[in-house]
Amino acid sequence: LTAFEESFKFSLHLQAKMSRPVQARRLEGVDQNIWLEFVKLAATHATVNLGQGFPDFPPPAFLREAFVRAVDGENHMLHQYTRAFGHPPLVKILAEFFGKLLGRELDPLNNVMVTVGAYQALFCCFQAFVDEGDEVIIIEPFFDCYEPMVKMAGGTPVFVPLRLKAPGAGKPMSSADWQLDPAELASKFSKRTKALVLNSPNNPLGKVFGRGELQLIAELCIKHDVLCISDEVYEWLVYDGKEHIRIASLPGMWERTVSISSAGKTFSATGWKVGWTVGPSRLLRHLHTVHQNSVYHCATAAQEAVAMGFRRELEHREQADSYLTHLARELQGKRDRLVRSLEAVGMTPIVPEGTYFLVADVATFASDVPEAPGSDEPFDSRFAKWMVKNKGLAAIPLSAFYSGPHKNDYSHFIRFCFAKEDATLEAANDILQKWKRERAAP
Amino acid sequence: VEFTKVAADPSIVNLGQGLPDISPPSYVKEELAKAAAVDRLNQYTRGFGHPLLVKALSQVYERVNGRKIDPLTDILVTVGGYGSLFSAIQALVEEGDEVIIIEPFFDCYEPMVKMVGAKPVFIPLRNKNDGNFASSADWVLDPTELANKFNSKTKAIILNNPHNPIGKVFTQEELQLIADLCIKNDTLCISDEVYEWLVYKGNKHIKIATLPGMWERTITIGSAGKTYSVTGWKIGWSIGPQHLIKHLQVVQQNTLYTCPTPLQEALAQALWLDYKRMDDPDCYFYSLSRELEGKRDRMAQLLREVGLKPVVPEGGYFMIVDVSALNVDLSDVEENQPYDYNFVRWMIKSKKLSAIPLSAFCGPETKVQFEKYIRFCFIKKDSTLDAAEVILKKWNKQKA
Repeated sequence: LTAFEESFKFSLHLQAKMSRPVQARRLEGVDQNIWLEFVKLAATHATVNLGQGFPDFPPPAFLREAFVRAVDGENHMLHQYTRAFGHPPLVKILAEFFGKLLGRELDPLNNVMVTVGAYQALFCCFQAFVDEGDEVIIIEPFFDCYEPMVKMAGGTPVFVPLRLKAPGAGKPMSSADWQLDPAELASKFSKRTKALVLNSPNNPLGKVFGRGELQLIAELCIKHDVLCISDEVYEWLVYDGKEHIRIASLPGMWERTVSISSAGKTFSATGWKVGWTVGPSRLLRHLHTVHQNSVYHCATAAQEAVAMGFRRELEHREQADSYLTHLARELQGKRDRLVRSLEAVGMTPIVPEGTYFLVADVATFASDVPEAPGSDEPFDSRFAKWMVKNKGLAAIPLSAFYSGPHKNDYSHFIRFCFAKEDATLEAANDILQKWKRERAAP
Repeated sequence: VEFTKVAADPSIVNLGQGLPDISPPSYVKEELAKAAAVDRLNQYTRGFGHPLLVKALSQVYERVNGRKIDPLTDILVTVGGYGSLFSAIQALVEEGDEVIIIEPFFDCYEPMVKMVGAKPVFIPLRNKNDGNFASSADWVLDPTELANKFNSKTKAIILNNPHNPIGKVFTQEELQLIADLCIKNDTLCISDEVYEWLVYKGNKHIKIATLPGMWERTITIGSAGKTYSVTGWKIGWSIGPQHLIKHLQVVQQNTLYTCPTPLQEALAQALWLDYKRMDDPDCYFYSLSRELEGKRDRMAQLLREVGLKPVVPEGGYFMIVDVSALNVDLSDVEENQPYDYNFVRWMIKSKKLSAIPLSAFCGPETKVQFEKYIRFCFIKKDSTLDAAEVILKKWNKQKA
């Protein structure tokens, strides 16, 4: 080629390059995020924020003290890198604690891996196990990050809904009334199904899957040789004497399950971003690979403090001052309080069996929200936005937790977070009462 | 991962892994204790970066860059500098792209590029001075060789300045060479500048993003761990134009969502403190490098006395050392392993001193070029360096 031809060819290549988007294709379809908008709205308009899921009360004193000791103590090496797959004191106590719960001996180095919150644990699982073309079953409604994470890994999400069955006569709606149809679930498994994501207790409904339901899921996973990614971050928040059953403890499930937990939800310290995975070494070693090529280490001091928190909890587990028992009791009371507030004004709560979320049917208040002909925004989303702007009360529309085609399946439910100080719940009640009075007035 | 197991053995003087054993400044530790005492600072903060922190970062870097930086759109806070590298590569590098990596390189660049299905294209720094009193400035890129690495598939070049492991501080001319090629080939620059404050007398850290035509195509990465000797905080940041940072933010919202709050708050407070004294020599950004320069010189001297040949770094807290002159008999160690791996294993076993073999930082083709070097880390307290001195002096005596 002549110099002119070389130069021409070069500039064609350059033009082709410049006309491509600068970002990678893996970001296609995952750039939207409902939280950005709703967090901003709450920050701007809310006087009472029952939206995003975090407590407005602090972590327990013993945990904060443990953190301060880690940070200001004699051992300044707690400000330096620790072991990449988890700070030794933390993985050791987690192996002990969860080993007891699962009825199995756990190796702290190979059966436990610490992550930057449960969120990063989920990311590691999808990246490690999901290949282009793999299918991943997601139960709707779902914590919204599962879908984009599966897509970013090149996988195809396959949705199966929890369906609302009518509660028994005279009984209030409960998260237990939301159930999978066994035949429908079975039909979602195919040759390409690589994994199923289970979230129990479930965000947003608060459903705590029963033994029978878990067995159904387990049988299908075993039959089709499918992995189970079990998001159990709300494992301690179960009410009315209900039991949180770990799917990894069912026969045939340990070898195919990664269980995910969160210090943020366990100890009311969401801002610490300490999470962990528990599972067999044949699965965890692939999480190691993703982890060491993405963040490598997690912050040391927070891990040290969480380790101390678990040590104390292990010592106090059966006693009256177990933090986890106390937290569940406290939150059950707050749940009941919010249920009463909502019922009193004519919203219909779905009483959650677990988590610190509650979903309520707001159909009776729908007429307050102006029509929006031509808008394809789901009604509950418009409702939630209108409510925060006009009533100062922030909540999240249930459609945020559904895949695109199903966002209008249940269009008049919104999710409240009740991990809030009593004063906050009182203020929410005041807003609701005032709203009711305004509607009744001529 | 392989060599960090050594860190657990207290009988070994560990000059291998790059972490300080000196204490972070006390005000930094205090700020963290204070932050943890505030209730709301124990809950989630803004995903792309705690507001107080991105504001502080924008102030510091506006001053350094001489340009306006929007805290909300031009900055992403990540889990260490490592997390920024990951986010940048995931966001901007496509399957089938090529990414130029300068050897020797911080070892994560290669697997991160491969993980996105892209091809790493290596170019070595070459030593143009084999004599005594070697400096990191002697290690340079060949301009023609570099130009030939660029083609239509080249999506990005990763620059590490100051450089780990050699400690090179790239000159204006060297940066201009890279910049010209980036602009000509419409290539992005991922500039890993975590050691930006650790620059020794006679050298100046220049940000490639400040060269004409480079801001719009550069992601510049920084690290609290290296700035404040708090590697265990794992807070880093990416700074760049909105049209690039926005894609890193998408990666963040799909990977870990947000970084820990109290650590970000404490870092913000520490940065404000030092920002206000950026005209004062006591500013930690400058005082740390003064402290380390003494350690650097001490280390170099001790190594020379044993007959090793250190390459004195212009920046960073690592020093590479040519061990070939010692002619140590390694015939009884593993075959098929590069010389430096065997040397380090021998040194750990027989001298109780650890370092990292340089071939850990190279692509497969250049291992031969770099296998006579090992890397020492000198951001160590005096007692550690004293212990290293004892070992080195004894070693020297044994040779005589």
